[in-house]
Amino acid sequence: MRSAALALVLLAATLAPASADCRLHHGQHVVLYSTTDDPSVLIWDSRDRLREYHAASFDEAQAMLPHALLVSPGTRAVVVSCVPNFVQSPIFRTPDDAIGVVVSTGPQHGLTRWVLGSDVRLLSR
Amino acid sequence: MKNAPLARVTGTLLLTAFLVLTLVFAVQGSFETRGQIANTFARQSQIQQAQIDLEELLRLQIDEENSLRGYSLTRDPFYVGQYHQAASGYDSKEGAIRQTLRDQRLIAAEQLLGTYDHLQSEWRTEVATPLLRRPGERLDELDKRNKLFSDYETGTVAAIRQALANTDAALVHSTQEQLDRSSWVRAFWVSVFGLLAILFNTYRTRLNRELEEERTVTKILQGAFRSESVPLPHCEVGSAYLSATSHMAVGGDIFDVYRLSENRALVLIADISGKGVDAAVLTAFIKFMIRAIALRKSDPAAILAEFNAAFSKAVGNPYLFVSMFVGVLDTGTFHLEYGSAGHDCAYVRTGAGVAPLAITGPVLGVMEEPYGSQSIDLRSGDTLVLTTDGLTEVRDRSGAQLTERGAIELIERASPHAQEMADELVAQVRARAGSRLRDDLAVLAIRVGNSEPRHA
Repeated sequence: MRSAALALVLLAATLAPASADCRLHHGQHVVLYSTTDDPSVLIWDSRDRLREYHAASFDEAQAMLPHALLVSPGTRAVVVSCVPNFVQSPIFRTPDDAIGVVVSTGPQHGLTRWVLGSDVRLLSR
Repeated sequence: MKNAPLARVTGTLLLTAFLVLTLVFAVQGSFETRGQIANTFARQSQIQQAQIDLEELLRLQIDEENSLRGYSLTRDPFYVGQYHQAASGYDSKEGAIRQTLRDQRLIAAEQLLGTYDHLQSEWRTEVATPLLRRPGERLDELDKRNKLFSDYETGTVAAIRQALANTDAALVHSTQEQLDRSSWVRAFWVSVFGLLAILFNTYRTRLNRELEEERTVTKILQGAFRSESVPLPHCEVGSAYLSATSHMAVGGDIFDVYRLSENRALVLIADISGKGVDAAVLTAFIKFMIRAIALRKSDPAAILAEFNAAFSKAVGNPYLFVSMFVGVLDTGTFHLEYGSAGHDCAYVRTGAGVAPLAITGPVLGVMEEPYGSQSIDLRSGDTLVLTTDGLTEVRDRSGAQLTERGAIELIERASPHAQEMADELVAQVRARAGSRLRDDLAVLAIRVGNSEPRHA
């Protein structure tokens, strides 16, 4: 039931006109790989949590972890939405996009989640 | 006029001081800038080392994580050793960076490093330790925590890196500014130095010209004021002058040897109560006045009396007086008629010794008194030695005066030749007084006997 609601939200976001600043677009195949020391990627159940996680203190972020799943680096996904410059980190100076994806490989196959723009690489075919 | 040399010396000293000061500023400025730049370079080098250390720190942290992953996947104890090695290296490197940040007073960066270190410590407790204990259980929760730590540490390191880069850029900028400022300051001081040097040179040139003009004027004045002695037949005449006040060799003492006729010569020595150029001006008046009177009157007593009467009226200064010895010497017979107006420094050196010549009246310019005259017949080899009180009153280092007795001893020991005797007396006075010479000295020595006298 919760997944269905999230899917609806993502669909609504997809129908909204995509911003010209967005790096990725609906339907694009991507691979998840983090630029931090640990290349695993946290995928979030809402874009607001994704944003809050990056703006939160360490303790606050720790408390939010139950709302995230960790996927292995190299996990593939398909872009379903993109919100440009949505995530503002107090440490990283430039804002980052929030990307809505449907995981297409691995244990989380089929899940729809939000990831940080810099954790997503376009899959070259 | 009196303060001109002082002004010159002051001007020269001031300009020299300014020149030296400017040079000191220029040189000191250069050294100061060099020190500042050296300091900035040292700081820059420290920052760059911290940047390198930070990257190394990050690598060690990743080594820790990778070793932990290796152990979790393989359970090979080798990875535990690697983990501890990386952890130890991390701690040491973290300490070095912390010290640099503290030295450079990068408080914000130091706080970030503290956060980073705290995160790493938490990571070891919350992620590493459980995994080392139970390597087989790769719990999702631990992985997520690991990811959380990783995200935060990456962010913190990025912020520290940025802080170091900013400081490095600021130091580069500061060095550039220091160099620019130093160039301007140095250019300024060098310009000031150059201008001062030109000014100094102009001043010196003007000074030299003035001195040259003064020398010329002095030479002319000396011709007028200076004591003179002319050669006398059958006599050897020597003279010397020592001025206590200036290089002009004129002062308040005067001597004069003047041929009144073929066989008669005026012999004069006088001491005016005063010294320096002012007194020298008066000596000219005395010299020519006495000559004029002596051309009309042959008796020294009459010469002194007439001069005394005229002097008081002409000068009109009750505090000014003159001691004077006037003699008229017959250069054929060596007969000397003389009058001494309070002048107690006249001597005759004979084979029997040195004898002072008597005073025949009071000093001139004080009161109208009658003056007497005396005569003496000189013999071949005798020397008439006339000096001023600069001889008898010269003081040695202890302050003791030479006195008449000392003067007589000096004259007795002096060379028989007139000029040598005069020079020796002056040299003795100069040696005795050193830098304490306070009074002028005139010496006139007339040695008779170049030929046998013609007796009347």
